[in-house]
Amino acid sequence: MDNSNDEFEPLFDYTRVQPVPVICLEDDLDGTPVFGPKKRRISGTADEKKQDVKEIDCDGKEEEAEEEDWLPPPPKNLDTNTKSICEDSTLKALRLERQELASFAKSADDVVRAVEESVRKDLSASLQSSPKSVAKQPVEPQCERAKLVISIQDKDGLKQFRVYMDDKFERLFKIYAEKSKLDVKNLVFCFDGDKVNPDQTPNSLGMEENDILEVHVKSS
Amino acid sequence: MSGGITRGRLTEERKAWRKNHPHGFVARPETSSDGTVNLMVWHCLIPGKSNTDWEGGYYPLTMHFSEDYPSKPPKCKFPPNFFHPNIYPSGTVCLSILSEDSGWRPAITVKQVLVGIQDLLDQPNPSDPAQTDGYQLFMQQPEEYKRRVRQQAKQYPSPV
Repeated sequence: MDNSNDEFEPLFDYTRVQPVPVICLEDDLDGTPVFGPKKRRISGTADEKKQDVKEIDCDGKEEEAEEEDWLPPPPKNLDTNTKSICEDSTLKALRLERQELASFAKSADDVVRAVEESVRKDLSASLQSSPKSVAKQPVEPQCERAKLVISIQDKDGLKQFRVYMDDKFERLFKIYAEKSKLDVKNLVFCFDGDKVNPDQTPNSLGMEENDILEVHVKSS
Repeated sequence: MSGGITRGRLTEERKAWRKNHPHGFVARPETSSDGTVNLMVWHCLIPGKSNTDWEGGYYPLTMHFSEDYPSKPPKCKFPPNFFHPNIYPSGTVCLSILSEDSGWRPAITVKQVLVGIQDLLDQPNPSDPAQTDGYQLFMQQPEEYKRRVRQQAKQYPSPV
């Protein structure tokens, strides 16, 4: 009869809920960040009515280059020695992981606190750095140079180009002029009403994903 | 409370504008010399439509948003003494969709307002005059009216 109390308790005892997702979060923090490249594909498709929008990669290598963006190159052939070392290290890693998990289970509270702290740190860091594009920067450098998609708009529509954030517009202007069979000398590019110089970069203008550059053809 | 709605809406408007706007138009919130942005005042450029007497001009317009936006429309002003039958001598645009009592709806976007004003340039509304000069020439001396419009277009050349 003494047991009856115990049987009902667990249903509503929230302190027993294990913070499982928190552990996942911690894993993510250990690994390399996964954002960046994938995001821009989604945002590229999300827009309303872009009839003849073409995305052109300024690497010139088109599709293949795109894949390489986020896929690391395949590992070179490993000889058997290194293979066994690899296995050893993975075993070790697994063992370590198991120990970690055990300790996590013991001190779930500590984990929660640690995550909270790191989130707070991240937050304050991103709040301190200036609001616009700069906030994104700290995340990106780990995965090569940051890129973004810029739309170039003429009177007839939009064309999209993928460029490096720190690449001079000179290159983009040339590529655009070639694609549209115009002389780059007769083109004026504007961002937000201001003329863009060839030696400026998307970074220096504080450009964001899918921002528009307008192109005007000089009438001479 | 309403201030939050106003700024939230204006932030959204600006975001949408950066991603998509009609060619030749400019619309950006005022930025002071120290870099702070004032979302309540936007400086805009409206290009004259091609194949009209307004072509070639880029007309500067200032939009003033009140704390009651988007319940109430923004006040849109060209420079003082702008030549057009439906623009007051102060530069304020007289247009049905910008009137709180007739055409304004909170769902009307900044883009729609600017395109609406571009339409108005070449299609004045003679039943609602706001200045004598532009109105009388439009009604009585169409040739002189055209000349004045073309002259004004040259006054506001492309900014680039």
